[in-house]
Amino acid sequence: MAYLETKNLCKYFGGLKAVDQVNFQVKEGQLQSIIGPNGAGKTTLFNLLSGLYIPTQGKIFFQGQDITDKKMNQISQIGVTKTFQITHIFPRLTVFENVRISAQSRKTSFNFWRKADSLEDINDKTMKILERVQLAASHDRVASILSHGEKKYLEIGIALATDPKLLLLDEPTAGMSPAETILATELIRTLRDKLNLTIVLVEHDMSVVMKISDEVLCLNEGRVLACGSPNEISCNEEVQRVYLGGRKEC
Amino acid sequence: MKANKENTSNTRTRSRVIWVTLAVFLIAPHIISTPLTTEILIFGLFALGFNLLLGYTGILSFGHAAYFGIGCYGCGIAVRDFGFSIWGGLLVSIIMGILLAAVIGAIAIKKKGVYFAMISMAVAQMFYFMALSPLKKWTGGEDGLKFIPKLSLTFPFHVDLQSSFPLYYFVYFVVGISILVIWRILNSPFGRLLQAIRENEERTIASGYNVTMAKFVSLIFSGLFSALAGGLFFVYLGYGPLQTLFWLTSGTILLMTILGGMHTFIGPVVGVAVFLYAQNKLSWTMERWELVVGILFMALILIFPEGIVGTIKVKYLARKTAAQEVGEAE
Amino acid sequence: MELNSTLLINQMLFGLALGAVYILMACGLTIIFGLLDVVNFAHGTFYMLGAFATFVIVSLFGNFWLGLASAVIIVGLVGWVTETYLIKPLYGKDPLYPLMLTFGFSVAVTDLMRGVFGTVGQIVPLPQFFSGSLMWGGIFIPKYRVFIILLMLAVLIFLWYFFKKTNLGMIIRAATRDSLMVQTLGIDVPRIWTFGFALGVGLAGLAGGVNSTIQSALPDMGVEITIECFVVVVIGGLGSLGGAILGGLIIGQVISFVSLFASDWSNVAIFITMLLILLVRTRGLFGEAGRL
Repeated sequence: MAYLETKNLCKYFGGLKAVDQVNFQVKEGQLQSIIGPNGAGKTTLFNLLSGLYIPTQGKIFFQGQDITDKKMNQISQIGVTKTFQITHIFPRLTVFENVRISAQSRKTSFNFWRKADSLEDINDKTMKILERVQLAASHDRVASILSHGEKKYLEIGIALATDPKLLLLDEPTAGMSPAETILATELIRTLRDKLNLTIVLVEHDMSVVMKISDEVLCLNEGRVLACGSPNEISCNEEVQRVYLGGRKEC
Repeated sequence: MKANKENTSNTRTRSRVIWVTLAVFLIAPHIISTPLTTEILIFGLFALGFNLLLGYTGILSFGHAAYFGIGCYGCGIAVRDFGFSIWGGLLVSIIMGILLAAVIGAIAIKKKGVYFAMISMAVAQMFYFMALSPLKKWTGGEDGLKFIPKLSLTFPFHVDLQSSFPLYYFVYFVVGISILVIWRILNSPFGRLLQAIRENEERTIASGYNVTMAKFVSLIFSGLFSALAGGLFFVYLGYGPLQTLFWLTSGTILLMTILGGMHTFIGPVVGVAVFLYAQNKLSWTMERWELVVGILFMALILIFPEGIVGTIKVKYLARKTAAQEVGEAE
Repeated sequence: MELNSTLLINQMLFGLALGAVYILMACGLTIIFGLLDVVNFAHGTFYMLGAFATFVIVSLFGNFWLGLASAVIIVGLVGWVTETYLIKPLYGKDPLYPLMLTFGFSVAVTDLMRGVFGTVGQIVPLPQFFSGSLMWGGIFIPKYRVFIILLMLAVLIFLWYFFKKTNLGMIIRAATRDSLMVQTLGIDVPRIWTFGFALGVGLAGLAGGVNSTIQSALPDMGVEITIECFVVVVIGGLGSLGGAILGGLIIGQVISFVSLFASDWSNVAIFITMLLILLVRTRGLFGEAGRL
């Protein structure tokens, strides 16, 4: 059984078919990348998976459960969490609080009496996550003054705090320097290997895609163009024509 | 890069802020006019309730006079027409506040900020007009709620509400407890959730929170305390003015909150104190007091949106950070 | 009171004339919101300024048309200055700030006008040309009401033409959708915003001027009218001019008929209407009622 699966998924905005009859599957513990030119429907697909958009047609299943009509917060509670393409953090809160409040979501928050700072287990979990995304030293900095790369790490940290089973990362290395990209790629690889997370990734940086993906899905004009291993995809003529450019002899 | 603890965010409020405030208000009526300090306490509670919604959750209500007025009239009518005790009257205020907040929340809480601001303003205006004319029989119309018997407290012991000091300390007691309760709420997991919603609502939803419910509950608390303040206002005045429902009351509470600092806990109370004190001293001498107030408000928004306490906090933290860095360098 | 068709048609026309004023104002508010993302809490104050401008000009020069025109021009200029110095600095900051600022503006200007004109209402005398009624199929309609309705239609046609056909209008529409894009085309978008604000409040000023013969101008009238205007756009949906028109029409009729049957409730009726519509159709009638 596929871990995450879509069946004939469609999202139409008036006449525009942003996502059109997309069928794709992700196996548990896999890292699957989604590539394609701008406007191919990658972010729309992500928004459908995370619950921001309701599909026009089609279904989405997670661990066999139909999550098509569920709202974004419900889907997060079920175990699918996404990061945002443009960093979407809590600007005036500290780095620590950014992650802590996300971690708090797994417990009931309609608790009006306890001191929030006294939830020790949540505090511990927060520190561990900050260490993993290498922001532990900045924990009491205000999030808005972080560098771009650090904010991207914080994004990942906030998502991790929700104990996700499946992580949707929307262009996690966008805007990063080459050095930062290498580190980020390693981090993402660790998330799959050490934390056994299933990861779906939207990426433009092919070096990242080739390095860590188990499977690659190529979208074009809302439809699935090809799906396969990184090698297969990079050799695929249509993918080359539409997106990769150049011809690779395979 | 500079280490920089929370610059303008409320996040946590030290308990000493609360104790200092309570201590100050314990002795204040002996230093400045007792009626004025009583009003400061009452409007301070109103402002804290208001800021729960604005400064913490990030929702602007332009019609909070509705809660204040309904609390005032509710307490008054309960006492005058139904023979309730003062405690009973205040309880009625609280219940009315909760009910009104629930209704407004059910209709408008999902809406974008500007819509909520407009709808809340319209609802308050509706109550104002209702009290003015169609419901004149109960509310006294323009004259307000009058013919109130002399108020007195008999439980748990007799308090003569006709003299200023006992009245003050009664109000102090109720407001003091409310401040402690609000403080606990805002420092709790729920309080943090509200701030996350203010900072980035979409991200909060994406992390798994039912944000609509949280906003709804926040509105309930806000309405509750604002209405309680209205009830206290009735007890303080011994009558119920129509002004409590007027849009200027909504505007004034907003002004006082911003003046003090909406991103701090105690800022609103400071704003109330400064404004009411200034109004007390200056509005008699100034023909155009409201003009001055309007200009000051605009200047606040343009230049010092963080208000008195907020600006102090930023400057203090900036200096502390600089000192820290010097210390680290050595 | 006999309920017959004459009475009903009379009230409907009365409601239409009332609605016309609200439509003008609501269109102005919608233009400002659409272009600047600012809800102008001082909109009614500009209405009030328009009424007083008309009064002053008519008192000085005796010409009603000059008075109306000056309402638009003077208020437009005030709007120009207001946006440039008070609102522009707030762009990019918390979207709640312009709301609060325009509110402070209305408090200040209201009191300023109180200082200048006092608290006695000033009414503009109805020009001789408009006195009396028109007879139409057994119904007497005051000429001035007809004028208001015709003026509103003229303004709506002008707005339609302006936005659909003129260069400036098309630029404004584009800037409403994507101001960044328009800016990269080399167009001075901040200027456009200033113009949009001036146009929006100019419409409010016109509404005030037009109503100055019917309703005495009082400094304190501003905020109440702002709130009524909000009801109109909440009902119609803040996104569209169509919504502003529909909302204005509904409100005009509601006020007209409620003052006939239950005058005590005539002030409250529009708010109850708003609540009922919100309960039934939460998006407002034309949508964009702001769900997240």
